Amino acid sequence: MLINEEMKMAEVIHLNHHLLHVINRFGIQLGYGEKTVKQLCAEHELPLPFFLEIVNTFHDPSYFPVDAMLRFDAALLIRYLQQTHAYYLEFRIPEIEQYITRLTTDESWDEAVKRLIRDFFHQYVFELTQHIKREEDRVYPYVLALAHYLETGQGEKELVESLMHYSIQEYENEHDDVESKLFDLKNIIIKYIPRPKDSRILNLILHELFELEDDLHNHSHIENMILVPIVERMEKEFFALTRNGRHD
Amino acid sequence: MIEAVKILLIEPSYIIKEGLRSALGRLNLSFRIDEVDEVKENLVLTLEKFTPRIVFANHRALETKWAGNRSAAVFDEVLLVGMYNEKVTLFEMARYDEVLCIEENKQQIISSLQNILKKAGLLSNESETENLSEREREVLRFVALGLTNNEIAERLFISTFTVMTHRKNITRKLGIKTVSGLTVYAILNKIIESGEVNVF
Repeated sequence: MLINEEMKMAEVIHLNHHLLHVINRFGIQLGYGEKTVKQLCAEHELPLPFFLEIVNTFHDPSYFPVDAMLRFDAALLIRYLQQTHAYYLEFRIPEIEQYITRLTTDESWDEAVKRLIRDFFHQYVFELTQHIKREEDRVYPYVLALAHYLETGQGEKELVESLMHYSIQEYENEHDDVESKLFDLKNIIIKYIPRPKDSRILNLILHELFELEDDLHNHSHIENMILVPIVERMEKEFFALTRNGRHD
Repeated sequence: MIEAVKILLIEPSYIIKEGLRSALGRLNLSFRIDEVDEVKENLVLTLEKFTPRIVFANHRALETKWAGNRSAAVFDEVLLVGMYNEKVTLFEMARYDEVLCIEENKQQIISSLQNILKKAGLLSNESETENLSEREREVLRFVALGLTNNEIAERLFISTFTVMTHRKNITRKLGIKTVSGLTVYAILNKIIESGEVNVF
């Protein structure tokens, strides 16, 4: 069942509690009362179609964004994606870090094993952070400049310059690398850790890793299914404009 | 299989879509499904957009948009499975790599899917956690020590290509893809000593 505007937000959460984080990223916090999706979006000055597309893309993996999303405001989408990044780096990762610390201070574990897991996790965090930074430093400013140009006609020269170094298609290819490391970490814990006396703390870590993986997967799904088509549409418009314009 | 197989489903019927999804879920296969009701432009563009490994297509949703020409490069990597019912002659289905009759019962559908996937090498008969062979352990040891494929090939007097095949099999058997992941595995299993390598 897809989420629609007439549903009460409380019902949405009962239907799928994994959406809590997503809804938070729009600035909508708990305490929904009897308010509907539509009412809460209006209260937070959020375009309803945008909210519904994002939430449904998360909610149903087979959901395919409607064509209207090609007209979504790029700045709005990027603000959402940045919120998601902040959630990973400021909340989710530190939470897993706490569990890892608990593991490393547990005397019943072999020192070498603890160190391997901790170091592997830190390496993963480093790569995830690098990946996010690259998106925020290179991809997003480019997208915003493109939107700005199409709206105002300003900044063409800088755009052409950055286009020579980067195109949105490259960006699609960058996603898989970081995923592999998370995948490995899960498998190492599930299959290859020497059997511990008590695996409760590892269960917690694993649970977190699965959740993080799901969330990241959805995040890149949104980037690939919504952001990339929007940017491709804008790039086309940009080329059409510059080709027909005074530069020809 | 470790990596999720990308599947594209071209089918308007919601019930058939969900049915296929559920049948695939009963196999020992990890997959991701994209769905379209029909092919709006041409098939090549759709394939380029989704880059699937397998396509399940309703023959009726496809027939007017695609005459069976498979010369485009994008077809090389794709397994095309045509879905048909009793109203379609098998002659019409000749353009597909495999066919699936949607009117079969549960057991038949699942076993047809298994056969199709096995033939394509996407479903293995072996269990996922096979042990490494002696040679694979050697290769793993060198990988963990940080050697390149070329260096490993020289040491073991085998071709680089063979090294790559070993590495693929190691990754498939262990479910570990990255070099640092393999290094951790090698240390945990005493294939190398943690002192031998500067892990991270």
